[in-house]
Amino acid sequence: MTTTTNVTAETEESKQSKPRKPHPIRDMLIKRSIIGILTLLLVSILVFAATQTLPGNAASAVLLNTATPQRLHALEVQLGLNKPAVEQYWTWLTGVLHGNFGTSLANGQPVGSLVGGRILNSLVLVVLAGVIGTLIGVGLGVLAAARRDSLFDRVLSVTSLAVTALPEFVVAVVLVIFFAAVVIHWFPAVSVFVPGTAPWSNPKELVLPVATLVIVIVPYVFRMMRASMIDALESDYVQMAQLKGVPRWRVLLFHALPNAIAPTIQVIGLSFLYLAGGVVVVEYMFNYPGLGQALVSAVSDRDIPQIQAIVLVLAAFYIAVNIATDVISLAVSPRRRLPRS
Amino acid sequence: MTFSRRDFLKTGLTLGAAGAGGMLGGGLLSGCGTGNTIKAVTTSTAGKPRYGGTLRAGLTGGSSADTLDPLNAITNVDFSRIDNLYEPLIGLTPAAQPVFVLAEELTPNAKATEWIVRVRQGITFHDGKDLTADDVIYTFRQILNPKAPAAAAAGLASIDAKHMAKLDQYTVKIPCSTPFATLHQALAIPGYSDIIPVGYDPAHPVGTGAFQLKSFSPGTQSTFVRYHGYWQTGRPYLDEIVITDYADQTSQVNALLAGQVDVVNLLSEDVISEVQGEGKNVLVSAGGGWNPFTMRVDTGTFSDVRIRQAMRLIVDRKQMLDLVFGGYGTLGNDVFGIWAPEYDHSLPQRGRDIDQAKSLLKAAGAEGLHVQLITSDIAQGTVLAAQVLAQQATAAGITVSVNDVTVNDFYGTNYLKWEFAQDYWFYNFYLPQVSLATLPAAPFNETHWNNSRYNSLYNQAIATVDDALRTELAHEMQRIEYDEGGYIIPFFPPVIDGYGTNVGGLIPSKIGLSLNAYDFKNVWLS
Repeated sequence: MTTTTNVTAETEESKQSKPRKPHPIRDMLIKRSIIGILTLLLVSILVFAATQTLPGNAASAVLLNTATPQRLHALEVQLGLNKPAVEQYWTWLTGVLHGNFGTSLANGQPVGSLVGGRILNSLVLVVLAGVIGTLIGVGLGVLAAARRDSLFDRVLSVTSLAVTALPEFVVAVVLVIFFAAVVIHWFPAVSVFVPGTAPWSNPKELVLPVATLVIVIVPYVFRMMRASMIDALESDYVQMAQLKGVPRWRVLLFHALPNAIAPTIQVIGLSFLYLAGGVVVVEYMFNYPGLGQALVSAVSDRDIPQIQAIVLVLAAFYIAVNIATDVISLAVSPRRRLPRS
Repeated sequence: MTFSRRDFLKTGLTLGAAGAGGMLGGGLLSGCGTGNTIKAVTTSTAGKPRYGGTLRAGLTGGSSADTLDPLNAITNVDFSRIDNLYEPLIGLTPAAQPVFVLAEELTPNAKATEWIVRVRQGITFHDGKDLTADDVIYTFRQILNPKAPAAAAAGLASIDAKHMAKLDQYTVKIPCSTPFATLHQALAIPGYSDIIPVGYDPAHPVGTGAFQLKSFSPGTQSTFVRYHGYWQTGRPYLDEIVITDYADQTSQVNALLAGQVDVVNLLSEDVISEVQGEGKNVLVSAGGGWNPFTMRVDTGTFSDVRIRQAMRLIVDRKQMLDLVFGGYGTLGNDVFGIWAPEYDHSLPQRGRDIDQAKSLLKAAGAEGLHVQLITSDIAQGTVLAAQVLAQQATAAGITVSVNDVTVNDFYGTNYLKWEFAQDYWFYNFYLPQVSLATLPAAPFNETHWNNSRYNSLYNQAIATVDDALRTELAHEMQRIEYDEGGYIIPFFPPVIDGYGTNVGGLIPSKIGLSLNAYDFKNVWLS
């Protein structure tokens, strides 16, 4: 009896003596994850409601001009499309909570395995393009800022502005004409893998799609990096460092860059978010078997379970990238980690 | 009568054999098979037939709803797989005429209420099982299953599947609930009534075709390997086929030019020069498919026959074909079934006559007519054809406002109810097409055509086993359609495919499906 009381007292005491330290990163992770899950639920409801307003259903989309009333009815019953919409959604949701994403209305295969392989394919595309684009963008930004107003800086700035104005499909077509189909035949014009093989076992097939995405995101990263680097280079502490005789490369890399990177991280985060959407066009152009291509055909097939699964994956990616961007921004800006009073 | 039918089919068979011989010779048949409508035919440089190799086909027109089930094939890529996995009782020659495939006899009784079909002996399915009468009965009962009718059910509705009977191991009696003199024609349409074995399971698709399945992922890729037990000696040439789905023509043509695929299907005419300029070949076929404008004859503006005839007279068919298909293809005359033996080639070719159109409109009190045309990207060139029609109509003071809806909208709840729209049909023989489209009970009667004289002519024709008599009746039906029908059929579109210089054995065909209905068993690689 007594011991128990003592233990309790001690714990309470120790709790009181050690108040829980505010930990902004952990707190934010927990809060944002909960909001994220609620967002996913909301997204699934919105997407389901949106699919209900589309003309036709999976049965009429499959049968097209062979849809006699008898065939339509038979297929609707087989696919469960004659049940009320709320019941269809509830069946789907309870399935998902049990880890079952249902079967495709278009071809009867499990959505999990249909979407699973494509997630990997798209992820490889996005991560490769994102990492390469970030490195090139940051590198060029630092160089351009260091040689501000030089010929190098001016050519890069004008070029990046011009490239910003080009949509992905134009970039893709130009690359294909030059490197695949007409001028030189170095790379495949379309990225067709044998289903079931990993994208990295087809490295040649990745070159042009990744290059297209890199060309599209580099200008944004470059311009942001250049601008914030110029700000940093004009600051007092950089001038101080220069007056102290710190070598130029040290000033750039250890004094200016860490302070200039925070705003650029937000742009890099935005680039990754853009990539998640931009892959749709690029996958379509290169016939690349990824999520975007699957989403386009799922929508035209009215294949609701597959639409839901892909949109949820993309939404989860958005949420994760947003959280990651904020966490990294916090991590590189010590000032903002202090609790606000 | 019975004798003449058999003779006819035998002629078909001989034609088919000649076709195969032509394929052996590499394009020998292309001269006679295509008619005079082809502007440019590239000859293959692939030399003599050779065994072995993998043919890579890059095909558009598929989707993630792709299937291997021959009862439910819908898309072009479905047909490409099904035509190689399975075989029908009767098929089509490149000239689009019936030819025996699995059947070696198909004979109607005098009233066309019963057919006897005998299949060849010694044919095996991919799992080694013999093809017998049981498989034929099973296939037709599956097609006509009232709970889940197959795509072919509408065209074979006269068959009384319940009372089909096995006469011996290879012979089946097919009774018909109503006379059905055109069974041999209805069965010949590719990809609809292929024979499947008893207990067929779509998860393990076995047929009697020259290729058997190796792998399949819908909307992406499928692979096939040579079936060593194939019954046609010397075929196939290829060891393997890889069929990859392409979402659009740009990536498909890029793949052909970059040498990633050997054959591509369904090209538009504007890439012909690009493909040829890069040293690849183009195969242009005068297909028998048709993309009509559909006017509802039962209600609204077009219930007045004078307005329908005026609409047909404002179309400059030559110009439309030039603008939409670069002049490839065949002019239409508002009657379908162009390669059918019953097609009436003596009807005068309808041309543009704005004055007559105007006077018809005036008589109908419809000057300054304003109509809405529902179009959609349902087949090659449909939207463009709609825009050309709208442009041509202005000359007669008609305003056609073109409403371009999505494919799903088009085939949604208003399908077959649009007052003025378009559609597309694969090639079919004349009377089987009538049973699908222009009878009161037809499942796809999009013009709501119901003409009592026409209906009674059909009922006579479908019960007439004699070819000449039936053709006479069919001609009269076509004259009614020509004078009063709800279709505008300005042209029969061409089928344009591309292939590499290493591919041999591809010939133009009138069937209207790409690559001679995806006949890969006669294709070789040099």
